[in-house]
Amino acid sequence: MTSIQMPQLGETIVEGTILKWLKTEGEHVDQDEPLFEISTDKVDTEVPSPVAGTVTKLLVDEGATVPVGTAVMEIDDGTGGNGAAGSASSAGDGAAEGSTGVTSSSASAAAPVGTPPTTPTPASASAPAPPAAAPLSAPPPQAVATQTPPPAAPAPSGAGAYTPLVDRGPRSQILSPIVRRLAKERGVDLTGVVGSGDGGRITKADVLAATAGGAPSAGTATVTALPTAGPSAAVATHPSVPAGANEDVAPMSHIRSAIAQHMLASTTQTARAWTMVEVNVERLVRLREAAKASFQEKYGVKLTYLPMVTRATVDALREYALVNSRIVGTDIVTPRFVHMGIAVSYDAGLIVPVIKGVDAMNTVGIARAIADLAARARAHQLQPDEVQGATFTITNPGPYGSLASVPIINEPNAGILSLDAIQKRPVVVEEDAIAVRHMVYISMSWDHRLIDGELATRFLARVKHNLETWDFAEDLGL
Amino acid sequence: MATQQVETGAAGHGAEPRGKRSDDGQATYLIAVAEALWEEMERDERVFMLGEDIGVYGGAFKVTEGFLDRFGPERVIDTPIAEETIVGMAVGAAMEGYRPVAEFQYADFMSSGFDEITTVLSRYYYRSGVPMPVVLRGPSGGGVRASNFHSVNPEPWFAYAGGIKIMCPAFPSDAKGLLKSAIRDDNPSLFLEHKALYRRIKEQVPEDPSVLVPISSADVKRAGEDVTIVTYGAMVHKALEAAETLATRGVSVEVVDLRTVYPMDEDTVLRSIEKTSRALVLYESFHFLGIGAEVASVIAERAFEHLDAPVMRLAPPNHPVPFSPPLEDAFLPQVADIEAAVDRLSAW
Amino acid sequence: MATTLRSDAAANDQPLADDQLRQMLATMKLARYVDERLEALYRQGRLPGAIYSGRGQEGTHVGVVSALRPGDSLFPTHRDLTAQLAKGLDLNRVLAQFWGRIDGYLRGRDGNSHIGDWDGNRTYAVMSHLPIAYPVAVGAAWAYQRAGDGRVALAICGDGATSNGRWHEAINWSSVERLPVVWVVNNNQFAYSTPNEKEFAVPTIAERGAAYGIPGVRVDGTDVLEVYRAAREAVDRARGGGGPSLIESVSLRWRGHAGHDPAKYVPGELLDHYTSSKDPVMNFEQHLRQLGLVDDDALAEMQREIEQRFEEAHAFALGSPFPEAGDVNKGMWVEDGYWRAEPGRGGGTEAS
Repeated sequence: MTSIQMPQLGETIVEGTILKWLKTEGEHVDQDEPLFEISTDKVDTEVPSPVAGTVTKLLVDEGATVPVGTAVMEIDDGTGGNGAAGSASSAGDGAAEGSTGVTSSSASAAAPVGTPPTTPTPASASAPAPPAAAPLSAPPPQAVATQTPPPAAPAPSGAGAYTPLVDRGPRSQILSPIVRRLAKERGVDLTGVVGSGDGGRITKADVLAATAGGAPSAGTATVTALPTAGPSAAVATHPSVPAGANEDVAPMSHIRSAIAQHMLASTTQTARAWTMVEVNVERLVRLREAAKASFQEKYGVKLTYLPMVTRATVDALREYALVNSRIVGTDIVTPRFVHMGIAVSYDAGLIVPVIKGVDAMNTVGIARAIADLAARARAHQLQPDEVQGATFTITNPGPYGSLASVPIINEPNAGILSLDAIQKRPVVVEEDAIAVRHMVYISMSWDHRLIDGELATRFLARVKHNLETWDFAEDLGL
Repeated sequence: MATQQVETGAAGHGAEPRGKRSDDGQATYLIAVAEALWEEMERDERVFMLGEDIGVYGGAFKVTEGFLDRFGPERVIDTPIAEETIVGMAVGAAMEGYRPVAEFQYADFMSSGFDEITTVLSRYYYRSGVPMPVVLRGPSGGGVRASNFHSVNPEPWFAYAGGIKIMCPAFPSDAKGLLKSAIRDDNPSLFLEHKALYRRIKEQVPEDPSVLVPISSADVKRAGEDVTIVTYGAMVHKALEAAETLATRGVSVEVVDLRTVYPMDEDTVLRSIEKTSRALVLYESFHFLGIGAEVASVIAERAFEHLDAPVMRLAPPNHPVPFSPPLEDAFLPQVADIEAAVDRLSAW
Repeated sequence: MATTLRSDAAANDQPLADDQLRQMLATMKLARYVDERLEALYRQGRLPGAIYSGRGQEGTHVGVVSALRPGDSLFPTHRDLTAQLAKGLDLNRVLAQFWGRIDGYLRGRDGNSHIGDWDGNRTYAVMSHLPIAYPVAVGAAWAYQRAGDGRVALAICGDGATSNGRWHEAINWSSVERLPVVWVVNNNQFAYSTPNEKEFAVPTIAERGAAYGIPGVRVDGTDVLEVYRAAREAVDRARGGGGPSLIESVSLRWRGHAGHDPAKYVPGELLDHYTSSKDPVMNFEQHLRQLGLVDDDALAEMQREIEQRFEEAHAFALGSPFPEAGDVNKGMWVEDGYWRAEPGRGGGTEAS
């Protein structure tokens, strides 16, 4: 008999919600066949079966939220023993301070979730310089002060590594006696609690709400996809307007409230500025028109403009590395690689899968990666590691018609680029003639804490240059 | 000692306090005090009263009107203006088996008997084991434009002495039940009647003379969830008023009425703080060293782990109570001040 | 010095029986001996706390107390240990009090001459504030008047205390109500270092009685019988419903205010005069010799008994345990039961 446990999908996750059973009691299941859908703050995904057998017991109701490690299902696989499977077996204590991701996720070979990253994801290293630094066993120097922003979320290895509270406001580090006590008594990880008090202070009510269980409520979501600066506290909130008689009420989903917090955090924590350039993509349009059919046939994926823009952007990121960097405490961390986040809109809202190592890909590879990630995103099949670690992000609302957009930075990135609608416009061409060309506004929201206007503009100018001058045909293998 | 039941309106008892209730049976705070005195005088012949102008005149506030006729000059004694000897005389009589109730025309004049109260009355039992069942009582408190010699809240002076139980009821039923308890208690008591409440507050008060309110028991006058106001005396009513307004804004206030300020019922206070995690200590005695300073300390010491915000205090400053209305109103905590304090506390 | 106002009784009026007279002498001699021994022990550093010598005032103390009956109450001050011994306090427990032991009358909660035994001997436990017991005596006297049981309260204070408001409040009140109380002023001529002429402007304290409408008598405090006669008259007056009286009993304070005080402010001649010719103990001893009530043998025996009595009491005191430290916070309120129970005796002791 095999016991299936609630897996830990990413460090700092302490619980998950069973969205839907995909198998019923008595039903046969093959190995790797999906057993149930779960929702966490990072991702909604399916959990496949580690064994083949017959489902004997469903231990938890649909919709229930249980701590990581909780047995949720039993499968009779013909073995005599009581094997517990599930990646969270060693991370069973719900109050784990997010330091067991790697070790736990490697425990069970059969569990596909939480596969150990081969390198620590850069955003989750807590030492500013070499990410492969030894796991922390002592607090990083600037972590203990209550007012200075703490470093990134803890290293994924080394149980007991110090987890500083994420800075979510000037008073978010103040823990009143009752808050400390309730958190200890109830096993609440305060790093995951959003403070609704003045200046982001975690109040008694916040801790109580965090332990209420059941449906998530706004302001109590645990740390989500962003491994560093998490959702910030709501600063001065307006009193909410309760539902009236002629209105429908539905609770916010995990994902929705996570998005809400990220957006608010980003808006309040970054010094967001915005720059736009106009790009003449006439050549790209012609190229795509000519090549899309054969491209589709050859590679099995659609050719859109996004891969080409991504490729052009990657080059600019290599040239202007600061745009690829992020702030950690009082340091600037600059990766020597690019992981590109691509914003994908799907039924649950917005998700940003990440193309790891995009700087090593050509346009075809990028196109494939985008297609794959987007499809799996829409099918709720993304893995947690696929939605974190971006060093830069691109969003593409163009297909929906927007001419220009001011996106919100995907923390902890320094910028996010928006590719809007390509439009035929009358433009001035050589020798002051007017012609109709395919034009597009490409803009970037960028963090003025890190980047200044000149750099941001040069960066975009480079993207523009690449798009206007490169011959993508070769890169497309056509 | 013989206990005599006296019927309301019985012949010769027209001046009895119970006859002074309103038609619906409600008694003012003052009448409740008078009823307590009358009933205890009837119940126990050892009880007697002394004070300035309490006999022939019926008392400066008319609390003891009718008592001289009923109980006679041996048990209702008009004294000279000699506060030390009022207290000393009560002590000597108590040592010889009596149960004196000494009235101070204004609580302010208790300081004229300071030495006998703090040196003799508060200490004799600890030193020698001779009980002193003495009650000192009088009208205290301000807010009635009586200026600084007629508005004092003396409880901190005498709480400091130790050895004297000090009561400051806010409601008529509490006043009656507590005064009866004080008279029956074998220890010295200081019973402070807030003069602003004498005639302004009335309610149904028990008629049964055996109904007592225990000394050192606080009472939750209004249940709430978000903030606790610990208070006593006239401030209880202001706190309740503030709580009403705050409720309309979604802040649920619990009001704990200490009733006895020394020794204080810590458990009731602490239970409330466990519930709300936020404490405002509201008191009319002066801010520095007033009763609330002690309450705040107890909360901080014993309920630290339950606190979601620092303990807050609201009390007048340590200077004489001023006379002119805008000055006195600025001096005393008002309902608006209480609301603002609760708002600050809630937002912390 | 002003004219001595004598009581009306004839000088050779002897209302006391022989045994009573001998007992008075024995009490005076015991008190004198206790005073001398305590001073010696104090100076040797073997007596904790302070001593307030009543030497030279035995006439006042024994004289007034001898006029009281059992049931009458005494309200003394810090210098009146002699009066308390005369009233009936047990020297064992008195000395245990001085040494802070559990068997002292106040279980170690107060020390040295701040002593009293209300339940056993109706003496008020002395307090330092002067004359803080006077208002309390008003209360006791009121109780006797109300009960009509004929009991009398007698309060003693010093000449210095007559400057205090309480003295006047209490005497005034007692007069208004015609209470059965006797107000005794032990005028030993010095209040600490302050002589009479700095304490009051009138020639005598006794004449102040008139201001309150009560009789005032000035007697020679070194003549125990003169004191007794005046006190007896006042006590009888009170007992008979005649109201309060004021007795000013004049002597000299032979020693300093307290053990540490060398009292250099007392004029040497005055002190010599009193110690040589106005010693109340010697003079009364002489008087009883003349009456044939005592001789050398009897006096020697008396002295032996006194010395033995003191030694016994001293040993008792040092053998009595200290109070238990853990009881320090008990006995605040009647309901904690501390005073109703026998005293805990586990507090340790020390040999002399």
